Amino acid sequence: MLKGLLTLNLTRYLSLLLLLLLSACSDSEDTEKNLDANKTPDNTAEVKAYYIDNSKFFSFKNLSDIPDDLVWENGSKLAEFGSPNAIKGGTQYSSLQDFPRTLRHVGPDSNGSFRRWILDDVSMSAAQTHPNNSNQFYPGLATQWAVSSKRKTTYIKLNPLARWSDGKKVTADDYLFSFFFYRSTDIVAPWYNNWYSTMYTNITKYDDYTISISIPNVKPDMHARTLSLSPTPQHFYKELGDDFVERYQWRFVPTTGAYQIKPSDIKKGRSITLSKVDDWWAKDLNFWRYRFNPDRIQFNIIRDNAKVFESFLRGDIDQFGLNLAEYWYDKLADNNESVAKGYIHKTTFYNQHPRPTYGLWINSSKPVLDQKEVRIGINHAANWALVIEKYFRADYERLRSSADGYGEFTHPTLTPRQFDIELALKHFALAGFTTRNEDGILVNSDQQKLAFTLTTGYEALKDVLTLLKEEAAKAGLELRIEVLDSTAAWKKAQEKKHDILFSAFGVGLEMYPRYWETYHSVNAYDQAFLADGSTNPDRKVKTQSNNLELVANARIDGMIDQYRASSDKQGMISLAHKLDEALYDYASFSPGFKQSYFRTGYWRWIKHPEGFSQKHRSGSTQLFTEWIDQETKKQTLEARQSGRSFEPEIKVFDQYRQDRNEGS
Amino acid sequence: MFNPQTQKKINRFCQIKLGYGSLIILIFILLVSLVAELLVNNRALIVKYEGTFFLPTYAAFHPGTDFGLDYSYETNYRELQRKFLNQQGDNWVLMPLVPFSPNENHTSGSQFKTTAPSFEQKHYLGTDTTSRDILARLIYGTRIALFFALGFTLCVYLIGVSVGCMMGYFGGVYDLIFQRLIEIWSNIPFLYMVIIVFSVVPGDFDTTSRIGLLLLVMVLFSWTSMTYFMRTETYKQKSRDYVAAARIMGASHSRIIFHHILPNILSTLITLMPFTIVGAITAITALDFLGFGLPPPTPSLGELLKQGTANLRTAPWIITAAFSTLILLLTLITFIGEALREAFDPKKFTAYR
Repeated sequence: MLKGLLTLNLTRYLSLLLLLLLSACSDSEDTEKNLDANKTPDNTAEVKAYYIDNSKFFSFKNLSDIPDDLVWENGSKLAEFGSPNAIKGGTQYSSLQDFPRTLRHVGPDSNGSFRRWILDDVSMSAAQTHPNNSNQFYPGLATQWAVSSKRKTTYIKLNPLARWSDGKKVTADDYLFSFFFYRSTDIVAPWYNNWYSTMYTNITKYDDYTISISIPNVKPDMHARTLSLSPTPQHFYKELGDDFVERYQWRFVPTTGAYQIKPSDIKKGRSITLSKVDDWWAKDLNFWRYRFNPDRIQFNIIRDNAKVFESFLRGDIDQFGLNLAEYWYDKLADNNESVAKGYIHKTTFYNQHPRPTYGLWINSSKPVLDQKEVRIGINHAANWALVIEKYFRADYERLRSSADGYGEFTHPTLTPRQFDIELALKHFALAGFTTRNEDGILVNSDQQKLAFTLTTGYEALKDVLTLLKEEAAKAGLELRIEVLDSTAAWKKAQEKKHDILFSAFGVGLEMYPRYWETYHSVNAYDQAFLADGSTNPDRKVKTQSNNLELVANARIDGMIDQYRASSDKQGMISLAHKLDEALYDYASFSPGFKQSYFRTGYWRWIKHPEGFSQKHRSGSTQLFTEWIDQETKKQTLEARQSGRSFEPEIKVFDQYRQDRNEGS
Repeated sequence: MFNPQTQKKINRFCQIKLGYGSLIILIFILLVSLVAELLVNNRALIVKYEGTFFLPTYAAFHPGTDFGLDYSYETNYRELQRKFLNQQGDNWVLMPLVPFSPNENHTSGSQFKTTAPSFEQKHYLGTDTTSRDILARLIYGTRIALFFALGFTLCVYLIGVSVGCMMGYFGGVYDLIFQRLIEIWSNIPFLYMVIIVFSVVPGDFDTTSRIGLLLLVMVLFSWTSMTYFMRTETYKQKSRDYVAAARIMGASHSRIIFHHILPNILSTLITLMPFTIVGAITAITALDFLGFGLPPPTPSLGELLKQGTANLRTAPWIITAAFSTLILLLTLITFIGEALREAFDPKKFTAYR
């Protein structure tokens, strides 16, 4: 009765009631889920049936079916990396800005910055790219492999010793299961669905430890495509179903790598800790034995960069990235007490790696931004030169395109649009924005202001945006800055709700740039075009994909398809250049800045192998070659108490330095 | 003008020097901040160009072409001033005392970074990490905070007083339901709620509407505490004879509430006001500090405090300036509040002086 009264008389408090009801509902939902969990579904039969239904893709043969003319490789001639002197043990302390939203490897929210700690940098694939020689592979799960271009197939012999972190054996079945898993729509990851459906044509199991994987076209980096595939633990995903996203949200996926996360180490909102897998199977394996040295790596959640830095100065955190000029020159200057006394070491390491694509990602599906002239105008109104010169203190260089740093695949002459007020005004005028209002912002004949939201998740770089804003105003463009926390910003971008995003894709070490993910129309819209090739008027924006600029252009699509299908390196290079030109023409990306090195500060108890790092490494922790010297730590902490000092260490490693503007 | 009772209270307030003095200083700060554009601005006060006078401060923007420059964006008046000086003609520019806008990056060197206070550069309190003038950001930030707090107090009072009075006056089922609702509503943690609500607000509002929205959200979650006081006070007054008398004479409910009861509970209202303002200033500063308040580059005390703490070692002048301003504001308002409480206290002899 009371409820009736409320709804009758107090409709304006309906929102409150809703809130109450919602919180009540969530409880009952939880109980339902728990009930479900008790049933524990099992998809083994479903998987088997799937293999049979797709028998062209999934083959089962005998060892005798492997051709004899194969040349087997094992990468054993490559130089090992890491240091034999590395000391095992200890806890390394690090920080995260935001607690990871999930421990899943795929699906919504999984593609965040934490994933590298549980997947990209830790888990093992059949063989991996060598960090000093990007064309060579060193063995991981495989002991031997053979690539046959003729058959477009790679044959892989798995190491029978390989184990998942839960003790189960890694077998050929886990590789087969990968294709079932990543093609399943239950995982809510369209990119993976597509990649695993179109980029491979067959997987064959010869015995428990021998497989072959085929791809549709011979590619210059065929090795990378097949050898870098990771198995997926079939036993773990038995419960895969349409509730995958919730069911696996906080369950650690068994790993082949050195670090796992124990449930007791997940302290939501506070810290998350990686710990060494007990008796890790690869601990004595070549290329793996001198790495993953600390027993535990603890990430404390510290939201504010300034606080992270303070914790670092206190010694609560072992390392701190000093890429930003204000940290390198001012806050941790060479005469800083901790540096001068030798407690904290500073290092600059020049590397060779595709550069993260810092820049403005313009959402070309939004009104006004869908006009090319406006996008070109924005490109000319973005004063990156000033940002680089005055804010980054000329330490950085201008990024040339979204495919910078791929050697000959990077366009040799294309340069980004320069800041030019007159040109910006000219292009804005072509889009109808001709007059300035009383604040100096351009308006069109409908009095619509030329104003866009500029979203970012990089709190540490928000000053860059305020500089861009001030400069853009000169060209009559208003940018409204929105600084979100990193996960929220990424979510917004994945839902394609941004106008302009300031962000960067961390790029993996690959031979050539990818275009399909970021520029193909299938990642922008569901059915971008009608059958006759015209734009589909009812097309819907596709979320959870990386086409953040919503580029949908039939010509670009055609080139990307050709590029993906091409097996000829020269052909791909020329296509890549043409694509860069077409994308330049489309003007939805305003290239920002790049850096040809990384700088880091670390306490003196963190030790690095000789040469500090590897040629193709993008950050100091990527390969886990550093170690903690407990003795030195004790000594340093005591010295800090007593005021004793050590020899300061400020080093530059430029053995892999390339000349500036060479296209790195 | 006032009835003798009120006059007596006002006189008593004026006698409390600390509170009275604080009020005068605060009013002065408010007035100064109202005309901040005339004191701290990168737009000139007066430009005399080719025999014509221009007053750019409150006018629409003047493109450089208006003064014979070759660009169509806002004139850089500092450069214009230098240019006219060099030309030694009849043209001249009069700049404000601090010739910088709060959002403008201005450096004499080649890099944007914090610089210490310098009279020569006219950065009287130094600059922040991107070479913006701290004095300018402080003054505009204070203005926003003060007016935000006043607006907040006004809204909270309007809602709180009307709902509270109605609860007390009508009583019964109305009171019962509203009390329960308010109990629930007030248990929602205010700061978290503001953060949550404000983080899902789409970013395509301009700064003014965002400030308005922030105000709305904050009011929405903070009007409840006002109702408790109002409800009890109204209950007390309602049972007095003068209310019964008014009722017998046929006065309407609204007349009784607004003309009879409200003036009698005014003292509670007024004594609470400074503390509400203090709360509002603290809240918006806290929100800005946490990064959930006003969007960058809006100048704000919270943002300055944040920069200050982040650059505590390298640029202590940021935190000094921001912190002193905040302390000054809050102390002034608290002094006024204490004095008001004293002045409106029916018991004449209390310890506070």
